[in-house]
Amino acid sequence: MLKIFIVIPCYNEAKTISEVVKRCREYGTVIVVDDGSKDNSQNFARESGALVARHYLNRGQGAALETGDQLALTLGADIVVHFDADGQHLAEEIPRLIAPIENGEVEVVFGSRFLNSKNKIPFIKKWLILKPAIFFQNLLLKVKLSDVHNGFRVVSKNALQKISLRQDGMAHGSEIVSQTVKNKLKYLEVPVTIRYNEFGQGFMGGLKIIKDLFFGAINK
Amino acid sequence: MNYLPLQIIISLFVIIVVYRLIAKYREGIIKTSELIGWLAIWLIVAVVFWLPGTTSYLALFFGIGRGVDLAIYIAVLIIFYLIFRLYLKLDKQQSELTKIVRHLALNEKPKSEDLKIKD
Repeated sequence: MLKIFIVIPCYNEAKTISEVVKRCREYGTVIVVDDGSKDNSQNFARESGALVARHYLNRGQGAALETGDQLALTLGADIVVHFDADGQHLAEEIPRLIAPIENGEVEVVFGSRFLNSKNKIPFIKKWLILKPAIFFQNLLLKVKLSDVHNGFRVVSKNALQKISLRQDGMAHGSEIVSQTVKNKLKYLEVPVTIRYNEFGQGFMGGLKIIKDLFFGAINK
Repeated sequence: MNYLPLQIIISLFVIIVVYRLIAKYREGIIKTSELIGWLAIWLIVAVVFWLPGTTSYLALFFGIGRGVDLAIYIAVLIIFYLIFRLYLKLDKQQSELTKIVRHLALNEKPKSEDLKIKD
């Protein structure tokens, strides 16, 4: 039996974290990395049955994911699922994303919101933010992906040992893609459902990602 | 020779800065190379204000009209470079901060009651 860990970075998500943890627990051990939340997120997560690692200071989603990944590896994970704390992903879709790794077909599975035609992506977000971001991602990393890193992805133990995130902020998504390519890990995209509320990256968030990637590249 | 008020003010300012630089050097806060670098910069400032002709001479050499223009160009370049260095340093410290925070988070072993809930 493969050991499956679900890593959920969490910052001030007290409203949704309990529900998300309870739904995810059916599919594996849940690790919530509380990224210095000011609300009661960590207690809610713990009460709902998650292992909780706590960042004393807010370090960003990428930093929290990396902490969760490292904890999962030390606890003997075979497969690690990245999942968002705000309830935008559906836990029921986890088995579908895990399957290609369980079968040994690939090492990394990216969830794609564009392969699922039922997703209602807000028009401005789709054409002003996501599509240009996808275009540049594919151009710069020489990949052919239909989406930019929404937070839903699955990584095998082997891949995780090769991928280490240096980007603390939201640029980690691009970093995972680039390290997957660099390490010649086989990957696959699987359609996922995204429930849109008010979350995600706005235009300024997108600019910050570009800035982080730029300084990350010259500050090695 | 007439002294301009600005020359007096700048000279006093330079003297204060140099005095503080030397004090910091004695306390071991800055390295010898840094001391020399900063002294050179402030010496140039003093020279430029007392002998404005030097910048005109240099400006002509570089093909720029006025000496003051050259001084401003160089100052802007130096400031941009220093900001860039600061930015890189800040970025590095941020990532080091993350390492410490992560280390602390991972060293607090998940509590045993958490594991019981899981099983």
